[in-house]
Amino acid sequence: MSIVGEALRQLRRKPCTVRYPAEKAPVPPRFRGMPAWDMSKCILCVLCQNACPPGAIRLIGKGPEAEIEYLMDRCIFCEECAEVCPKRAIVMSDRFELAGFDRSKMVFRFRKEKEKQPEPPKHSAPTANG
Amino acid sequence: MGYASTVKVPFGPQHPALKEPEHFLFEVDGDTVVGVTPRIGYVHRGIEKALELSTYGHGIYLAERICGICTIAHTCCYAQAVEELMGIDVPPRANYIRTIMSELERLHSHSLWVGLVAHEAGFDTLFMYAWRDREVILNLFQELTGGRVLHAINTLGGVRRDISPEMADKVRRALEHFEGRTKEYLRIVRTEPTFLRRTRDVGVLKPADAARLNAVGPTLRASGIKGDVRRDDPYVAYDEMPFNVITSDSCDVFGRTEVRTEEMMESIGIIRHALEHLPEGVFRVRAPRNVPAGECVSRVEAPRGEDMHYARSNGTAKPDRYKVRAPTLANIPALCKMLVGIHVADIPIILAGIDPCFSCMDRMVFVRSGGSTGRAR
Amino acid sequence: MVAYEIFQLVVFPGALFVICLAFLYEWVDRKLFARVQGRYGPLYTGPAGILQPVADFLKLLSKEDIVPRACDANLFFAVPVMYAALPLTALFIMPIAAPEALVSFEGDLIFILFSFGLMTLLIFLAGWSSMSRFSAIGSVRSALQMLSYEIPLGLVLVCPAIAARSLSVSGIVQWQAANATWGAALQPIGLAVVMVCMLAELELVPFDIPEAETEIVAGWRTEFTGRRLALFRMGRDLEIVLVSALVVSLYLGGAQQLWLVPAAAMFVIKTAAVVAVFSFARALFARFRIDQMIAGMWKYLLPIAVAQVVLVQMGLGA
Ligand code: SF4
Ligand code: SF4
Repeated sequence: MSIVGEALRQLRRKPCTVRYPAEKAPVPPRFRGMPAWDMSKCILCVLCQNACPPGAIRLIGKGPEAEIEYLMDRCIFCEECAEVCPKRAIVMSDRFELAGFDRSKMVFRFRKEKEKQPEPPKHSAPTANG
Repeated sequence: MGYASTVKVPFGPQHPALKEPEHFLFEVDGDTVVGVTPRIGYVHRGIEKALELSTYGHGIYLAERICGICTIAHTCCYAQAVEELMGIDVPPRANYIRTIMSELERLHSHSLWVGLVAHEAGFDTLFMYAWRDREVILNLFQELTGGRVLHAINTLGGVRRDISPEMADKVRRALEHFEGRTKEYLRIVRTEPTFLRRTRDVGVLKPADAARLNAVGPTLRASGIKGDVRRDDPYVAYDEMPFNVITSDSCDVFGRTEVRTEEMMESIGIIRHALEHLPEGVFRVRAPRNVPAGECVSRVEAPRGEDMHYARSNGTAKPDRYKVRAPTLANIPALCKMLVGIHVADIPIILAGIDPCFSCMDRMVFVRSGGSTGRAR
Repeated sequence: MVAYEIFQLVVFPGALFVICLAFLYEWVDRKLFARVQGRYGPLYTGPAGILQPVADFLKLLSKEDIVPRACDANLFFAVPVMYAALPLTALFIMPIAAPEALVSFEGDLIFILFSFGLMTLLIFLAGWSSMSRFSAIGSVRSALQMLSYEIPLGLVLVCPAIAARSLSVSGIVQWQAANATWGAALQPIGLAVVMVCMLAELELVPFDIPEAETEIVAGWRTEFTGRRLALFRMGRDLEIVLVSALVVSLYLGGAQQLWLVPAAAMFVIKTAAVVAVFSFARALFARFRIDQMIAGMWKYLLPIAVAQVVLVQMGLGA
C-alpha cells in the first residue's frame, strides 16, 4: 500500500512510454549511430580498416579506383574508425533504425567519385546526417 | 513420514524467472527444497579464446561484451590489467571519469535489479517505476558516451570522451531527480508489507557461510561483512572518494535490497564528489601496440560484486592467456547454500537476489576424462 | 412475446451484451493497470485500443491448437468450454437491466456461491488434466487458495441476505431499492471482506499465486493454447463481470434507475467502477506466498467475516 500515493499521481500524468513508430525519442548529438563516409575527404589510407575491431570495413581494389565496403551487419558502432581517420572522412550519423531481414542489404559501398557524376549507391547510402 | 518422498523439479534452462539459460535441479520434499544441483555453462561463448585472438586494442570491445550490464566494470578491469602490463599511467582526469562512469553504471544496474526483484515478487508496479527511472541514467549515458548500453568509453590509456562542464551540469541535474526517486524506493521497500513478507528471512546467508563460500558484492555485504574492492583495493580514483561501504545484518533478500538501494545513494554522492573535483588535464594517453611479457590480475567492484581479470602477455600484440571471473560465478556456491531449506515459491526471488548474470559467468568447458558426459564448469 | 424473451436471453441483457461487457472490462482493467504503471496499455486497435481484447480473442482462435500428448484428453477439451459457460450462465441470475434478473429464484445466491466453487474446481481439473508440473502446482495452489477464502466469502455473502430476508440476488436488490439504501452503507466490513476474497477468486495480485508467472510459468493455464486459451480468457473476463455484478447487486444498490439514467446504464457504471477498484488494487501489492495467504485468510479475514455476521444478527446493518 505504500505505493498508493504515487499510483494515484501517475494516473494524472502522461505515461512515460514513447509511442515509438509515431513519436521518437530525440537522439543526442554525438550519438554513435551508423557511420557514414564522406568520400570526397577520404584518402584511402586503410587506417579505418585496421582499426575496426570486428572487421566491418574492407578496402576493395587498389589505387584511386578502390572502394570502401562497409558491412553494417558486423559493425558494433564503436566509433574507432571515425576516431582514427586522419581526414575526418567518417562521421557517426544518428541513424539507429537499422534492423532488417536481408543481410545483403546491409552492405554499403563507397567509392571516390571520378568526375562530377556521383553514382548513387544502390541501397540508400547514408548521408552525413542520416 | 516414514517414506522418502522427494520430487526432482527442474528449473530452467528455459524458465520465465530466469532471463538467461541456466539449469537448477531442485530436490523438493513437499514444499521444501532439500537439495539443489546447479548446472552451468549453457551460454559459453568462447570469449576468452576470442580475446586471445584479438589485439589488445580490439579486445576491450570484447571485454565490453562479456556482460550487457557491467560493461564499464569489465572494460575498466580489462584496461587496468593491460595498462599495468604496458606500464602506462592513466591520467587522473581519466581515472575520475572512469569512476563517474562506474558509479553511473552501478546506479543503473541496481535500479534494474530493484525492478527485477519486485517483478519476481509479483510487484509489477514497482518494477515498471524502477525501470522507468532507470531511463534517466541510460539517457545520461547516451549523452555522455554516445551509447545507451555499450558505452565504448574506456580505452587503453584513458577514456575516449571528456565530460564537459555543461555535461557535468546535466549529470548533476539528473542525479537530483534520481536521488529523490531512490529515496522513494528505499521507503517503498522498507514499508510495503507484502514486499517485506516476501523478502524478510528469505534466502538467509549467515555471515560465516558468506565468508566461507566466498560470496561477493552486495550478497556478501548484506550478510554483514564489509567486503568491497573499492575500499579494500582501491582502483581508478576510489582512494580519493568519500563513501561508506553499506552493509546489512539481516542476511536475507530484504537485506540485499536495502544494501543495493542504499548503495545507490552512496554512488550519487561519489559522482557528485568526482564531478566537483574533476582534475584538469588530458584524459587519454597513447597506448603502445605491443605489450612486454608479463602477467597481471586486476580487480574491480562491479555492481554485482568483485570482477577479476587475469592477463598474461608474451611480448606480442595479442594476449597469451586471458581469464575472466565474473562476480556471479563467485556467488553460485553461496546461492546453493541459500536455496536449501526454502519454500519452492521463494526460488525465483532468491535466485534474483544475487543479481545473477549467468551469461557473464559461463566460461570454459571442462570435459571430465573417464566420465561419460562432458560437464560445463 | 416469445421472440422478445429470446431477444432478452441472447442479446440484451443476455449473452451478447454480457460478452461485450466482458471484453470492455478487460480493456478497462488493462488500461487502468497500465496507466497506474506509467504505460499506455492497449493503444492501436480501435479508439484507445478498446477493441484489443476482441482482437486478442480472435487471434487466439486462429492459433495453432496444441494438445500435450500426456494430457487427459476428455477433460482437457471439456474444461475450457465449461469454464466459459459457467459464469455466463450465472450471469443470468444477476439483475442487469432491471432490479429483476432474467432468471431468479429463491436461493440463487447459493447458486452463485456454488458456481464460484465450481470455477475453482474447473481450474483444478484444467491444471490436473494437462499433466504438467507447473499446471499441477498451479491447480493445487488454486484449490488451497479456495479452501482459505471460500468460508469468509460465504459467511459474508449471507449477511445481505439476512438483512433483506431473501436468498435471491434480485430480492436483495429490490430490498435495497425499497429501503433507498445501499448494502455498502449498512455493511462496510462485509464489502471489504468480499473485495479481498474476490481478489483471490479472480487470482489477482496479491493473490495471483496459482498463476504466478515468475514461479510457475502460467500455473494451471500453462499447457493451454489457441482456442482453449481464448475460452479461458473469456471465462476469466466473464468471471470479472460476474464478480463485479455480484458486488454491485449486493452492496452498491444494483441495477436501479437513477433519475433519468436507465438501470442498465447504472449497472454498467457501477460495475466498471468495481473493476477499476480491482485493477487499481492489484497494482499496489507484491504477491503473497501460498502459506502466508492461507494463514492470513484464516487468522484475519475469517474473524472479521464472523464479526460481520454477528453484527447483522444483532440487528446492526440490517
Ligand atoms: S581512415 Fe579515413 S581516410 Fe583512411 S581510408 Fe578510412 S575513411 Fe578513408
Ligand atoms: S564503428 Fe566500429 S565496428 Fe563500425 S565500422 Fe567503425 S570501427 Fe568498425
